[in-house]
Amino acid sequence: MKKLLLISILASINLYFTSCSKDDNPTDETNGTVEVEFDNIALVDGIQRQLSMVTPGSSDYQYTNALNQKFNINLLRYYISNIVLEGPNGEYFEDKVSVTTTAVKGIYLVDESNHTSSLITLSDVPAGEYNKIKFTVGVDENGVTEGAAGGILDPATCNMFWNWNSGYIALKFEGQSPDSNGGVSGTETLDENSIHGIAYHIGGWRDIEGTAFVYNNKALSLDFDTNAKVKYGEQPHVHIVMDVLTLFNGENDIDFTGNHNVHKPLDGVDMANNIPNAFTFDHIHQ
Amino acid sequence: MKNLLFTIIIIFSISCQKDDVVENPYQLSYPAYFPELKYPLDTNPITKAGFELGKKLFNDPRLSIDNSVACSNCHVKSVAFTDPQHNPSVGVFERSGTRNAPMIANMAFQPEFLLDGGVSHLDFVPVFAIENQREMAESLVHVVTKLNKIDEYRQEFRNAFPNLDTITSPFMLKALSQYMLLLVSDEAKYDHVLQGIAQYTQDELAGKTLFDSKCATCHSGALFTNYGFFNNGLDSSFEDIGRAKITESDSDLGKFKVPSLRNIGRTAPYMHDGRFETLEEVLNHYRFGVKDSPTLAQELRTAGQLGIELSDDEAEKIILFLNTLTDYEFISNPIF
Ligand code: HEC
Ligand code: HEC
Repeated sequence: MKKLLLISILASINLYFTSCSKDDNPTDETNGTVEVEFDNIALVDGIQRQLSMVTPGSSDYQYTNALNQKFNINLLRYYISNIVLEGPNGEYFEDKVSVTTTAVKGIYLVDESNHTSSLITLSDVPAGEYNKIKFTVGVDENGVTEGAAGGILDPATCNMFWNWNSGYIALKFEGQSPDSNGGVSGTETLDENSIHGIAYHIGGWRDIEGTAFVYNNKALSLDFDTNAKVKYGEQPHVHIVMDVLTLFNGENDIDFTGNHNVHKPLDGVDMANNIPNAFTFDHIHQ
Repeated sequence: MKNLLFTIIIIFSISCQKDDVVENPYQLSYPAYFPELKYPLDTNPITKAGFELGKKLFNDPRLSIDNSVACSNCHVKSVAFTDPQHNPSVGVFERSGTRNAPMIANMAFQPEFLLDGGVSHLDFVPVFAIENQREMAESLVHVVTKLNKIDEYRQEFRNAFPNLDTITSPFMLKALSQYMLLLVSDEAKYDHVLQGIAQYTQDELAGKTLFDSKCATCHSGALFTNYGFFNNGLDSSFEDIGRAKITESDSDLGKFKVPSLRNIGRTAPYMHDGRFETLEEVLNHYRFGVKDSPTLAQELRTAGQLGIELSDDEAEKIILFLNTLTDYEFISNPIF
């Protein structure tokens, strides 16, 4: 009995130390790294085209939605979080979310104007084969309930924070369409007087039935066509494409003559429901 | 044997907290009859330096666009951190707000903030205040830039958060929260009665009994709120739609967060728009002034009658009881 007690005490001391100190799991020499790249593209006539961005106010329109309304893009930015990799033999890797005043782990902000932001490096992935990636577009409760955060969640600098409902915009799009009659507000790139502005700030991290608290983050699961082989020293590179046109077409066609100034969860439901189809797995470089 | 082990674990877990429980005024302490703690303290351990920094920020008009309005302009300590003068509260450039500044006390136990519950974490409330055009009209990023230019602040941020080179918004927000979290009001006569060191007068006790039966469905528990959202019959059509602003649901029209009634004797004017100056007016509202609308709380429409039935004498006694909720130690605490 005494021995048992001693063991339990040791165990609880151990528990105490681990619970007070931040987890530091030393790099395992059998683990590898996986790179995940998010390419924003425009799928035109079945061909993936590199996205072209314009300066705010431009009347140079590159794209057309399903309603035959032309538009262009000033800004495109979204959060990716809760990444999980899974394999056919039970391989499992979770990129844990942790949020503090100085650093954010497991949440990424992909910004079309900042190319390095589209590359996410997952380290310490257990060796094995992986054929599936799961992730969430947006920031869930696990990024909000810690309160004021730093890094890419810093409410002062991320430009993705809604102060009136203390949550993060999942996906932000700003541009112009000749079919919009302007009058957008609260944007980063558009003048309040801009005559053709379109703004889609899609977010909503809480769900309260029957109310405008709608959950607009989207949890996706994409299968790979080949397995990503992970081992020490190898770095498979997973390409995911995000088609901007699908944001406006698909589940719900977005009409620039009507709903073109979206800043609230409820108003963003239609586009949010297009988000899952906009992301597809493309290929892996082993 | 089991007990011993349990004690050991407890000792270890207590040792995670740095400071001594009894001696330290910078530790969040509160009576056992308070509701459960809502703020995740482990993400923001309170220290003297952090609290002092938060206090300084709270009182600093440099947090507003023209350096004219501090948090403490609208949240005044002597009246339990409400706004006594303005109806409704006035921000920068003498802009009039649309709402009456609520009390800041016992924030650590509150699940949702603002009168419509839009904000769900205390850390984020100042972002709303600072960026609100009618309050401080400043941008958070600009406040942070201003603070970084002030040597004194750089030093104080480093004292509160070791190894901090550049001030960033989360540290400012955590410091403000540390200050607001310690604003615990738990030394009213009401508390002293519960602790057995004071006694109600007969009339106060009668008032309490009436209050418990007529008011305590909404104003419940030791903080006198169930933190729900209700329409207490102020209007039948709504200039400020309250909770519906956030939920966009017609069933929430004219509903506001049930306010805590602690220090209520000090926090006039009353209601979201500060329409009543005295507690007599408030009681008269509940007795004679309740207006019907589809979202009116059912307690205020019993048996086809609007309002709460009370005699003059009963209303008076309720007010006597409400005055036992004033915490003079709180509003005169030199640490705050
Ligand atoms: C111009 C007056 C004004 C200023 C300045 C101001 N507030 Fe407020 N405060 C208000 C009003 C009015 C509300 C209620 C707002 C609402 O419900 O929309 C409020 C609400 C709050 C709440 C929520 C309380 C509750 O019970 O939900 C907190 C906390 C708070 N303010 C803290 C601050 C802090 C910190 C600052 C400084 C950064 C500040 N306030 C500056 C007027 C002000
Ligand atoms: C159905 C729920 C409900 C009941 C019952 C109720 N109240 Fe209220 N009370 C509220 C709400 C909601 C508010 C806030 C309204 C607003 O901000 O406009 C409020 C506000 C108040 C205020 C003003 C607080 C402030 O800080 O401005 C006082 C005082 C008050 N009630 C006292 C009472 C008394 C006394 C009774 C019983 C006679 C009572 N209430 C019964 C829901 C209720």
